[in-house]
Parts: sequence; C-alpha cells; structure tokens
Amino acid sequence: MKDVYILAIETSCDETSIAIVKNGCEIDAFTVLTQMDTHAEYGGVVPEIASRMHTENITMVLEETLNKSSITINEITAIAVTYAPGLLGSLLVGVEFAKTLSYIYNKPLIAVNHTIGHIYANNINNQLKFPLLALVVSGGHTDLILMKDDYQFEILGSTLDDAIGECYDKVARVLGLKYPGGPNVDKLAKEGKLTYNLPKPVDDKTYNFSFSGLKSSIINLVHNEQQRGNEIRKEDLAFSFQYIAIDELKRKVGLALKNLNIKEMIIAGGVSANSYLRDEIKKISKEYNVNLSIPEFKYCTDNAAMIGAAAYPLYLKKEFANFSLNAKSQMNITEK
Amino acid sequence: MYTLFIDTHYNKIIIVVYQNEEVIIKKEVVSDNNHSITTMPILVDTIESINLKINDINQIIVVNGPGSFTGVRIGVTIAKTIAFTLNIPIKVLSSLLIKAISFSHESILIGEREKNGVYIGKFDNQNNLIGEYKYLNNNEFKEKLNKIEYYEEIELNYEKIIKYSNTLNSINPHAVNPLYIKKIEVQK
Repeated sequence: MKDVYILAIETSCDETSIAIVKNGCEIDAFTVLTQMDTHAEYGGVVPEIASRMHTENITMVLEETLNKSSITINEITAIAVTYAPGLLGSLLVGVEFAKTLSYIYNKPLIAVNHTIGHIYANNINNQLKFPLLALVVSGGHTDLILMKDDYQFEILGSTLDDAIGECYDKVARVLGLKYPGGPNVDKLAKEGKLTYNLPKPVDDKTYNFSFSGLKSSIINLVHNEQQRGNEIRKEDLAFSFQYIAIDELKRKVGLALKNLNIKEMIIAGGVSANSYLRDEIKKISKEYNVNLSIPEFKYCTDNAAMIGAAAYPLYLKKEFANFSLNAKSQMNITEK
Repeated sequence: MYTLFIDTHYNKIIIVVYQNEEVIIKKEVVSDNNHSITTMPILVDTIESINLKINDINQIIVVNGPGSFTGVRIGVTIAKTIAFTLNIPIKVLSSLLIKAISFSHESILIGEREKNGVYIGKFDNQNNLIGEYKYLNNNEFKEKLNKIEYYEEIELNYEKIIKYSNTLNSINPHAVNPLYIKKIEVQK
C-alpha cells in the first residue's frame, strides 16, 4: 500500500500544533507553538485569549511545519483535526482551518477526538498491541480503559469527582505555585519527604477513582496551619500529596492487571508527563509482567502528532467528515 | 480576475464573488450561532454554483470585525488560510468601514449593533476613520442616540466596496487578524 501522510491540526486548548504523520506512526514534521507564558500571567488558560492566539498563529505554524516536511502539501493524503473535547472557541479555529485546507487541496477530512489522540500518542514510533489497558490521566480525565482493538473502548472505571490533573492544579494553587501547576508540583515534590498524613481515597474493589477528598484535606490542612501560624513545608506537602494521588492510580491499575488477563498497558494524557507517575506505573507493570508504553515527553502534552496517529485508523476505515463539521466542548471517547 | 468576499462578523454569512468589479453571485444566509456549521458549505456551494473552483479565485476580501468574536474568527481563519495557501492577495475591511463606503456622504457616525451594545466609528467623506473605533454598551449608546438628530439603516453597496478595496494594498496573510475593539474581562 502507498504511504499515508496525514496533516494533523490540534488547537483544543493553549497549544497551536500541526504535524505531518506517516502511516500513523512516523513523524515527518512537527510544530508546537505554546501560549503558556501568556496564560501564566492570568494564572490559567483564558479561553478568549487562547482562541485569538490560535487565529493569529495558525498559518505561520503551517508554514513552519511544511518547511520541515519531506513532502509538499499536495502530496498529503488527508487532513485531520481535533474537534472535541476542549475549549470551543479554540477548537473552532482548528476546525475551520482544517476544512479550508481539505477544500483547497481536495483531501478527505478526518475528525479526531482529543482524548483518543492522547491514547494514540503511544502509537508514535511504536505499535499498539491489543488487548491493552489504557490509563488516561489529564486535566479532564482519569479513566481506566480496556481496548480490544483499534477504536474499541471499554471504560472500566473513571473518577467519581475531580480529574487528577484538576487536583494537581488546585494543590499547586494552594501551595502558591505558578501555572502550569501540575509540573511544578512534580518538580517541588522531588525535594520533599512523606511527612504529612493525608487521607487515602476510596479503597474499594471498583476501578473508579476519587480525588476531591484528598484535595479538600489539603486545602483544610493549609488553612489550619496558617491559622495556627505554622509554616507549611511545601516540598513535603507536595510529595505527600503526590504519594497518595499516584497510589490511588497504582491500586486501581494493580486491581485491573490482577483481574484481567492483559499483557499490554499504556499511559496517556497530560499527566503522563509526571515523572513520579511514570516511575510508579513502571514498577507495577513490572510486578505483573506487563509491557508498558508511555509516550515520549513531547507527545504527552497537547500536540498534533498524536492527532495524526489517531486519525490513521479512521483513514483506513474511510470515516471522513464533511464541511459542516462542528466543534464540541464535551465528548466521551465512546461517543461518535 | 475573480475576487471572493467573505463576511461572517455578525448573524449573517455573506459570500460574494466578483468578476473584475462586478458582482456575479451574492449569497446571504442568516445563521444564528451556527457559523461553524454553515460557513464552509455556503462558501463551497457559492463557488461551485457558478462553475468556478477555489483555484480560480485571484483575490480575497475579508471583513475582520468588529462583531461577534467567534463569527469574525471563522471568516478570518478561512480567508487567511485561502490567501496563504493559494498565495493570492488579501484585503481587510472593517464591518464599519464597509458601511461607510456604501454610504459615501459627508462625514458620518457608523454604528454596528451587537447583543449588548454598539461598535461605533466616525468617518470623513473619504472614508477615513476619524479617531478610533469605540464600543458603547446599550445604555451608553441610548444616551448618544438621544443627541443624534437623524439616522438610517445602511444598505451595503458591493460595487463601491470592491472599488474601494482595489485602492488598498494587500497584506501578508499571516498578519490578517480580527478586530475585536471590545476588551475582555481579564484585560480590563
């Protein structure tokens, strides 16, 4: 079969990214323009500013990606774009841009779910082997998913309240750390010890997670210590939090690996860039003798390469979108 | 010489194709909060209905606001992408300027309504903006309106618009951006 080159676009949050991906696994060209410094001034992503910056930068990101590519835009096989979930105004810039390219170059248009993109980040320079267990951890997700084949998702368990990334951001804020909170908690925790006694989240036999209790206990702890005039040992609290939060993931992953006969596991989503999480899940996968795949750091955070990887199975199935494609802020991975 | 005109700044999607300075087709569709679904299909249908291909287009004119933030972004994103990829000239006109052009008269104050207020701009008889664009909320606008003796709705004149646009220099597609005027909460 002829090589398939997919030009993929990702604008769901605060990164404008375009990639050219060969056969769903090889990166031919890849650009990420992050707006992180701008949003850091406001302590978090401001949706309207994100949308404005995508509009300003998108054609420049395309030009840069094409300059890096080994092929011309006419040789592209298809155009793929993240259409859900994410910030609506931001997604729309990518969607309209993708539709225009699809029209001008007369190439099929492929609509990709952002969360599925994170899963397929594990297909870059690699190949997903089924059945597999996927742990999806991000600002919006904490899911354990069983995949028996491409695009077959069985959700075993999810968070009952906050997503783990959301919890990291909240803890960062309480500790007075700058945006982006999650990576800063991880960094600070490296210098800390397990000294604070925090409550263990739901310890049941389901695959569900819970982080709101842990979050509240940290807010209360910091508040009480401040009332008493005691200083918070931020490094230690960051470590103690991270220890309990990742332990929750480990227990549920361990339970799934024990109950299911699975030899392949992947981690996906922005929080998969967390170094402590990577180390701990590596340990548990070794314990159960499971092959573990974690994306390279640059494919953990939001990027278009993973969208190109996730678009490939849809290309093979000829699941194309038309020019009336719309963006959606919310969408489960099992929805169409 | 074919020119494609795109305006999505408010509740209507307007696509016009000119041959030289003559309108050969004009599509105007009301699309409340549906610009993302409707704009591209309307654009494609309009061009196909006159048996043209997108590669036949030699020039783009885009209305870059002020107006609905999302609406303007859709038109501007499509327009700058076409201009960049086909490497054709692109001209930018504001939603107030196209009214001033259509109403060549003495100096006038142009208003452009949106949900909670009005964008205004004052133009001289050469369609030059006097001062800068402003945004007034509905109350501020009501006060202003009380002081105005006479006003009327302006019907857009597309021949005048392209004639004016032909006097402008084209700009780099990367630099084509919406005109927002109104500040957002965090920047206030």
